[in-house]
Amino acid sequence: MKKLHIVGIIIIAVAIGVIFSSLKNTTTYANFSEAMANPDKEYHVVGKLNKEMPQIYEPTVNPDEFRFTMLDNNGLSKNVVLHKSKPQDFDKSEQLVLIGKMNGETFHASDILMKCPSKYNDGKPQLN
Amino acid sequence: MEAITYVGERLWAGHLGNAFVVLSFVAALTATVFYYLSTKNKAFYKVARLSFLTHALSVFGIAGTLFFMLFNHYFEYQYVWQHSNKEMDMKYILSCFWEGQEGSFLLWTFWNVVLGQFLKKRMNEEWEAPVMAVFSLVQVFLASMIMGIYIGDYKIGSNPFLLLREHPDFNHLPFVQSIIQNANYLAKLDGRGLNPLLMNYWMTIHPPTLFLGFSATLLPFAFAIAALWNKKYTDWQNMALPYTFFGILVLGIGILMGGAWAYEALSFGGFWAWDPVENSSLVPWLVLVAAGHTMLINKNKGGSVFTTHLLAIGGFLLVLYSTFLTRSGILGNASVHAFTDLGMQGQLVIYVLTFVFITVALLIRDELIKTSYIIGSLLLLFFAVLFSFKRYALFVWIPASVLLTIYSYTRYFPKEKKEEELYSREFWLFLGSLVLLLSGLIITYFTSIPVSNKLFGMNQAPLKVAEYNVWMVPFAIIMLKLMAGAQYLKYRHSDVKVFFRKIKWSSIAAVVLGLVCSIPLYFLRDFQEADGGLQKWNLISYTLLLISGFFAVFCNGDYWLNVLKGKVMKSGASIAHIGFALIMIGALVSTSKKVTLSKNTSDKKVESLGKDYDGQKSILLTQGDTLPMGPYLVSFREKIREGINVYFKVEYYKLNAAQKPELDFTLVPRVQDNPRMGKAPEPDTRHYLDRDIYTHVTYAVLNTMPSDKEKNNKNAYTEPKNYVGHVGDTIFASNSFVIIDSIRTNLTQEQYAKNDSLLIVTAVLRCVDAQSRMYKVYPQYVIKNNIVIPKDAVEETLGLKFAFWKINPEEGTLEITMSEHIRNAKDFIVMEAYVFPYINVLWLGCLVMAIGTVIAIMERLRVNRLRLQKTIG
Repeated sequence: MKKLHIVGIIIIAVAIGVIFSSLKNTTTYANFSEAMANPDKEYHVVGKLNKEMPQIYEPTVNPDEFRFTMLDNNGLSKNVVLHKSKPQDFDKSEQLVLIGKMNGETFHASDILMKCPSKYNDGKPQLN
Repeated sequence: MEAITYVGERLWAGHLGNAFVVLSFVAALTATVFYYLSTKNKAFYKVARLSFLTHALSVFGIAGTLFFMLFNHYFEYQYVWQHSNKEMDMKYILSCFWEGQEGSFLLWTFWNVVLGQFLKKRMNEEWEAPVMAVFSLVQVFLASMIMGIYIGDYKIGSNPFLLLREHPDFNHLPFVQSIIQNANYLAKLDGRGLNPLLMNYWMTIHPPTLFLGFSATLLPFAFAIAALWNKKYTDWQNMALPYTFFGILVLGIGILMGGAWAYEALSFGGFWAWDPVENSSLVPWLVLVAAGHTMLINKNKGGSVFTTHLLAIGGFLLVLYSTFLTRSGILGNASVHAFTDLGMQGQLVIYVLTFVFITVALLIRDELIKTSYIIGSLLLLFFAVLFSFKRYALFVWIPASVLLTIYSYTRYFPKEKKEEELYSREFWLFLGSLVLLLSGLIITYFTSIPVSNKLFGMNQAPLKVAEYNVWMVPFAIIMLKLMAGAQYLKYRHSDVKVFFRKIKWSSIAAVVLGLVCSIPLYFLRDFQEADGGLQKWNLISYTLLLISGFFAVFCNGDYWLNVLKGKVMKSGASIAHIGFALIMIGALVSTSKKVTLSKNTSDKKVESLGKDYDGQKSILLTQGDTLPMGPYLVSFREKIREGINVYFKVEYYKLNAAQKPELDFTLVPRVQDNPRMGKAPEPDTRHYLDRDIYTHVTYAVLNTMPSDKEKNNKNAYTEPKNYVGHVGDTIFASNSFVIIDSIRTNLTQEQYAKNDSLLIVTAVLRCVDAQSRMYKVYPQYVIKNNIVIPKDAVEETLGLKFAFWKINPEEGTLEITMSEHIRNAKDFIVMEAYVFPYINVLWLGCLVMAIGTVIAIMERLRVNRLRLQKTIG
């Protein structure tokens, strides 16, 4: 079974390669301060909408830019620019997950996931 | 508090349902025990069969009772209340049935019972006992999922027959607390209803198909376990083969239906998002396909026996694992459509581990090792629960089980004495199965990131769609090459020269056509514009995938027409393979060449951040305006509200020969203002033979516009908005743009320094409307006796009001607020529009693959029947 042994070795090598490269490369969850320490790296930042700060969405100027302020899980508040249209029901969201990177004092997000209150929708997050 | 006697509750229904639940559980347990005993003594068959039949009938009873309750609006029951209501169209009653977790477990149980009844009559007694024992054991577990009983504080399953006022998750809600003060509460109670997002035909056909597919993975699993039990490793594959391909067919259709649903009705912007829920049905399918192919080796030549067992067992274990992933709540943020956590995490883990345990225990034939494994596992479980070190127990138990599996493989499994030849069909079929398995394991590994985060305390984020694609494209290339070439090789030994001569023309044609297509697709522009090595590699890999796809189509077509002489009944495999290749080609082209039509014209770019941040996805359409978008002119015509659905009529125009816009088609995307799920957009798509134009509304104001009376009110202005800027800056109003032209003061700086009585600073604002008409406005900043008194200025024609209220001398900026008359408010939508080229190749491929698989199953059954007749005759 020599040929199959070679195949087996190749398969194991691929599997180990996948594990190592994924451990090295995939983005991780982080808070704003970690994202600030590595401005070039992409992170998932979990937090809540800071409802005391204004939200700016002016589709007449740019429909793909929405600005708001989020508090991360450590309570640190940062300005966020989402490079997408404002998600519907944004104000009802209970929890936000931003995918993006820090640029100076502002977090630039390419995408957002939202969780809405579970009492009303069986805990299913919104499709967005 | 005095106990209230409630009026009108139909308690008998719940009692009946629960009786069936308990009976189905007990009967499944009895069937397991007696089928087990039947392996030793044939006298027990009667009881075993009767128990399984009782179980089957009680499952029908549970389903029937639940249907009856849904149909007759028994809202005193939580499941009926939560998933249906009075107004609902009865055609959605099936969807209500399986919307909830309990109902979907019931659906799964139901299919298992149907398959079990079907199977049990088609086996001899030697196989019936162990196969049906496995079936019954699975049914014991599934039946317990809807029991909802407590052992101490630990809840087992979730019961669909609980009264709303007694349901532990609902009875503390203020709403429930208040209604149950009234003894006659039921008279007024209406259900919450089916989630409107799920009120479509997909919800009626997708879950039953997918669950039948899940059930079908139980067939090869039960056979493989029975084989380990009987220690007859090579007799079952022939029996299991048609059932395995039946599973491949049904599960495959179920998965593709999910993709079609996502594409047609959800706003993912595609048909496949590598969502954990999608992945966890794809992986069992991949493994089942691998199992089906190693069974072909078993049948035609022998060998690959251990691999077949591993794959047949693995397919079902992965279905269990995916049940755990999607229903335990562990996915959390990682998935958009995982089920809610019903507190069944521990229970689901136990189920998965139990079947792993049974497999390993049966693999070991040495009695001493087997006994120590069983006792060791039980002790480990006992202490792990007692002293709560479950995680570490898993770290010990899983490697031990894997080691014992490898040990058993080397000790007890029949092995080929002669090495497979390189140019033999079995070698490449086997390799293909390993590639399928490996791709499935890699997808599982990525999908399980939330699990490994929990086990190892890491914080890895889930993968993005593009990252999955990069990983999976090479696997697709290898699989397509294998399914093209392997059939030209004979089992055992083939002539190399003949092989290469046969595939010569298909290879040449594939390379030529592949390059002819991929050069304009990927290399005339994309390759030069690609930034970074990864994107360049992607384009090269797309080309290889396209060539391999064509290669698979040509080879299988050639094999069908020239080797099998076009005989349809013999060509199931070739046809299914052509279908798979078409799916890959369609998926590749429609995804990689997806064109964003709705690029907005704003020039704000954040190029330093990379392509994901360029924010060029959406277009703003104001009602009545017509804007160029790609090759079209688009116009948002009107907004129509019907119940909870808000429809947006978007017209697509094209310029005709006379350069006049002519209506091409109208799309009506909608936003569902869903009281339970929030606002959910649903796209609308224009289908052409060679492309789809896909449109969905991402942002819109759903409220109705101001009335005429409000519009005539002279003072109805919106909330002022503040602008900070310099002279020369522009403020955008809805109907014009406003340039801060200049600033004039009545005093020079020196005069002001001397005389502090009155300072007037006038901002000259130039408003230019869409017809380039100019209007001037002069808001004033007045300081009188050191008090600032801003003086509003109104431009009546445009309906704009300005206040100049602040000067920041240090920054050199001024601040002006602007408010608009509400008659200016125009309705608008923010919309995304994409072109999916050649997506119909994908759907055609689905159809062809399904037809090919059906043909292969029919042929297989016919051959098996013939053989049976021969042995009898």
